[in-house]
Amino acid sequence: MKNLYIMGTAGSGKTSVATGLALKFSREGYRVAYFKPIGNVTGAFLREDEDAVLMKQLLNMKQPLETIVPYIAGPSYLSGYKNTCESLKNIRKAYETVADGNDLVIIGGANFPHIMGCLGLDAPSLVQELEAVPLFMIKINNDYSLDHAIFINNYMKCKGIPVLGNIFHNVPRPLLAKTEGIYRPILEEHGYHTLGIIPSNAVLTSPKVKEYYEVLGGEILAGEENMDRLVEDTVIGAMTIESALGYLRRSANKAVITGGDRSDVALAALETSTSALILTGGLYPDVKVVARAEEKRVPLILVHYDTYSTIEKMSKVTRRIRAKDEAAVKMTVENIEKHVDWRNVLRAII
Amino acid sequence: MAELTNFFNPASVAIIGASNKPGKIGNVIVKNMINCGYRGKIYPVNPKEADIEGLGCYPTVDRTPNPADLAVISVPAAGALAAAEACGKYGVKNLIVITAGFKETGKNGLKLERKLVDICQKYKMRMLGPNCVGLLDTHVPINASFAAGFPRKGGIAFISQSGAMVLSILDWSHKAGLGFSKFISLGNKADLTETHFIADAAEDPHTQVILCYIEDVKNGSHFLEAVRPVSRKKPVIILKAGTSQAGALAASSHTGALAGSDLAYETAFRQCGVIRARNMPELFDLAVAFTSQPVPRGDRVAVVTNSGGPGIIATDTIELKNLKMARFTKETIAELRNHLPSESNIYNPVDVLGDAKAERYRFSLEKVLADPGVDNAVVLVCPAAVTEPVETARAIVEVRKKHPEKPLFAAYMGGSRLEEGVKVLKEAKIPCFIFPEQAVNSINGLVSYARTKDLSVETEPLTFNDADQKTVKAIFYDVLKDKRLVLLGSEAAEVVAAYGINAAPTLLASSPEEAVDIADELGYPVVLKVASPKIMHKTDVGGVKTGLESPEKVRRGFMEIMDNVHRHLPRVIIYGVEVQKMMPKGIELIIGMTRDVQFGPLIAFGLGGIFVNLIKDVSFRLAKGLNFGEIEKMLVETKAYTLLRGYRGNKPADIKAIIEMIGRTARLVNDFPEITEMDINPVFSYHQGASALDVKITVS
Repeated sequence: MKNLYIMGTAGSGKTSVATGLALKFSREGYRVAYFKPIGNVTGAFLREDEDAVLMKQLLNMKQPLETIVPYIAGPSYLSGYKNTCESLKNIRKAYETVADGNDLVIIGGANFPHIMGCLGLDAPSLVQELEAVPLFMIKINNDYSLDHAIFINNYMKCKGIPVLGNIFHNVPRPLLAKTEGIYRPILEEHGYHTLGIIPSNAVLTSPKVKEYYEVLGGEILAGEENMDRLVEDTVIGAMTIESALGYLRRSANKAVITGGDRSDVALAALETSTSALILTGGLYPDVKVVARAEEKRVPLILVHYDTYSTIEKMSKVTRRIRAKDEAAVKMTVENIEKHVDWRNVLRAII
Repeated sequence: MAELTNFFNPASVAIIGASNKPGKIGNVIVKNMINCGYRGKIYPVNPKEADIEGLGCYPTVDRTPNPADLAVISVPAAGALAAAEACGKYGVKNLIVITAGFKETGKNGLKLERKLVDICQKYKMRMLGPNCVGLLDTHVPINASFAAGFPRKGGIAFISQSGAMVLSILDWSHKAGLGFSKFISLGNKADLTETHFIADAAEDPHTQVILCYIEDVKNGSHFLEAVRPVSRKKPVIILKAGTSQAGALAASSHTGALAGSDLAYETAFRQCGVIRARNMPELFDLAVAFTSQPVPRGDRVAVVTNSGGPGIIATDTIELKNLKMARFTKETIAELRNHLPSESNIYNPVDVLGDAKAERYRFSLEKVLADPGVDNAVVLVCPAAVTEPVETARAIVEVRKKHPEKPLFAAYMGGSRLEEGVKVLKEAKIPCFIFPEQAVNSINGLVSYARTKDLSVETEPLTFNDADQKTVKAIFYDVLKDKRLVLLGSEAAEVVAAYGINAAPTLLASSPEEAVDIADELGYPVVLKVASPKIMHKTDVGGVKTGLESPEKVRRGFMEIMDNVHRHLPRVIIYGVEVQKMMPKGIELIIGMTRDVQFGPLIAFGLGGIFVNLIKDVSFRLAKGLNFGEIEKMLVETKAYTLLRGYRGNKPADIKAIIEMIGRTARLVNDFPEITEMDINPVFSYHQGASALDVKITVS
């Protein structure tokens, strides 16, 4: 048995592809387990690695979370670092427990391939240690993203653990042609494979209102029933009322962030396609705004941060997939079936 | 339109929540109904009382002898729904809900109000309110309100979104000697709105002029349709509050609805003939003018004064308001010259000098009003030593009787010395002010109403048989599939072209080579523009290159644009670069559209290019009901029009082509309600034809 190790950067679609592949392979009749050697904790309220929680539920894994994610590394992990060998031993032991009785183990990488390199627990080292087949996820921000991918592929090749292939994830529609026509051939020229190009899909990539709420906290004043709405864009409402409508109309399913005292902007936002209205500064809005939001069933969240801090916090939110989110889970499998050469992946690990 | 007869003239009125306790609203309403002399039956309803103010009281509404034509509900919010339900069950068809505690109080109140509306719909009841003062009619008479006092009979119907305004005006009207036909307090407008009551007042024989105070219009298209015909019958004067930035903020907090832009209101009012008052004094000055003066034949004003300064001020104001100073006939001038002292000014403004007594005023005013070149007159009186305020007033009143067809206003510029004269004028229904500006303002209101009445009723739609809706639908479908709301320039050009608008050919290139191919096909020189729905101002981010004459320049231009935009906006996704045929320079114009939340598409026309925001030479019309005549007026209103007619030796532009382009734009935005914003900027206007260079379209 071989393992699949999914490497990538933060927000590159590791969880989505791991979910899709795991479910697809188990539907193909394999017993699949999930393992995440280095976990991380996101959000203000959470204490657990969300990927592990998700996969434990989806794959009905019996092991406790501490086994599925033996090690949780925060950004100041070195302050309390442990002996390398011991950590590696622990990871190995946990892995064996998880792998026991299964045909395949999908291993989720940490936020970046280099994380915990100080302890020799970076992705390439773990790939070697766990004898896994590495897969690299690419999120295109600009042409430099491809340079980064080639750099990682080169490094893995030098280490003697070549990447099985690359998957482009969350590719915006206007970049699909370029990915297919320019990026993919360049990778091929360097001798690296592309296993899939997955187009952007709001169902998987746009955070939900409640994910912002988890980070921001605050009070929900209206529209509580629609906290599951997707947020595809954010707009800051600091403009004059004459220009507000023009701006607000330009984006759909957006979160609008504005001061609690700007009832004009708030009401204008409620006339346009708005997923959530976030009022900052702890200023309670006029009751009429609350009533209108309720009428339109738009979540109205009052936060106590100023507008700048609110946006800072919101920018860190990425979409999490939850087991209960059937549409998203279904979409991960659909993506694998439609856009990824999953048979080749499977062949490499069985 | 709703049938409101039973609101104003019901045979019976049930008052639910009637009370014996003085000071309670339920008590005030019963007393008001009795004291106003209402001739129908009053059914007080209160389970705890046997009789109220001498009237037999009923425990519940269904125990009243028969379903009343009108029920007034003034029980607390918690009981109001049950009361409305009981009315519905019993067969009452009209409700006034005085009770507050609905939408104006927030979320829970909103839920209650929704339920109230549901009840009304279930039983097919019409409702005024909730959260209102009620209504009254002085001619019926009926006073189903909790206002203190009852106004004098008169010809003014006052419809107000503010209850407080009703109370204040009613109280003030006695002092001001103003008479009213109706008072209506609209409250939350959950069912019946200003539009219903304006249309109803139009049919009321006692109402001469309809006055409104509103903070928003509930349903823009309903308002436009209903008020347009009314304003041809009777003047409709509206004070729309919340015009300033802060005022709009306050109004939106107050009414809980985005009020729509003030510009849209201004345009809507003008297009349906509503006279807009700017402040409360103006609202009532106009009311007085319309109830006491005839509608003038024209805009020419004569001024008769006994002092130079006020005459000049009046003249300035007349000019400022776009009215005309009347020019007298030779005969009038000769008569004035023969009879007035030689130092007098015998041309308009006629200065009868400081020593003028009543007789000199009488003579001058008579001659002036008899002059066919005069449509309106203002008499100014300053308290000089020999001035005869009362006699002069009597003289004015007498002259007026001979010329009842011409509006006549006075300004008695002073205080106690003139008081008695003012009284004489007011009794004779000649509006008298302290300063000339108010008099001129009133004339201006009358004249603008006269102009509205003259407006042609041309409303045939802008039909263009070649409009290709299918292509537009297909493009919008693709855009929405791409999860965008903003069209790329190439798509927008295709949309307007499908509606017969001559757009400069624009195609999207995703690589330098493709851009060169397109340029070869279109012919050089070309313009390159970055294509991204996220970029509003392409020039600002280095996203535009003009006048590219060779393939090499196009190739280089493509790369430069990509680099520039990446530098300015590193995270924006670029769709490519649009290649457009470079058009010869013409007069730069703009045709724009923004969809107002109340009134629908608002079309703008003016001088275009990058100075549009600076110069603001723009005129507006609502697309609804727009016709070619109106579009032409729209052009004439701008400075651009002077330019288009051929300024300083330049050849005139093809004005017909511009009118047609505006017409086609209006048709496009009327046909496709999903277009929320649209801009063609610039449009190049030529001696022959016009061309749309940059088209922006946002959809929903």
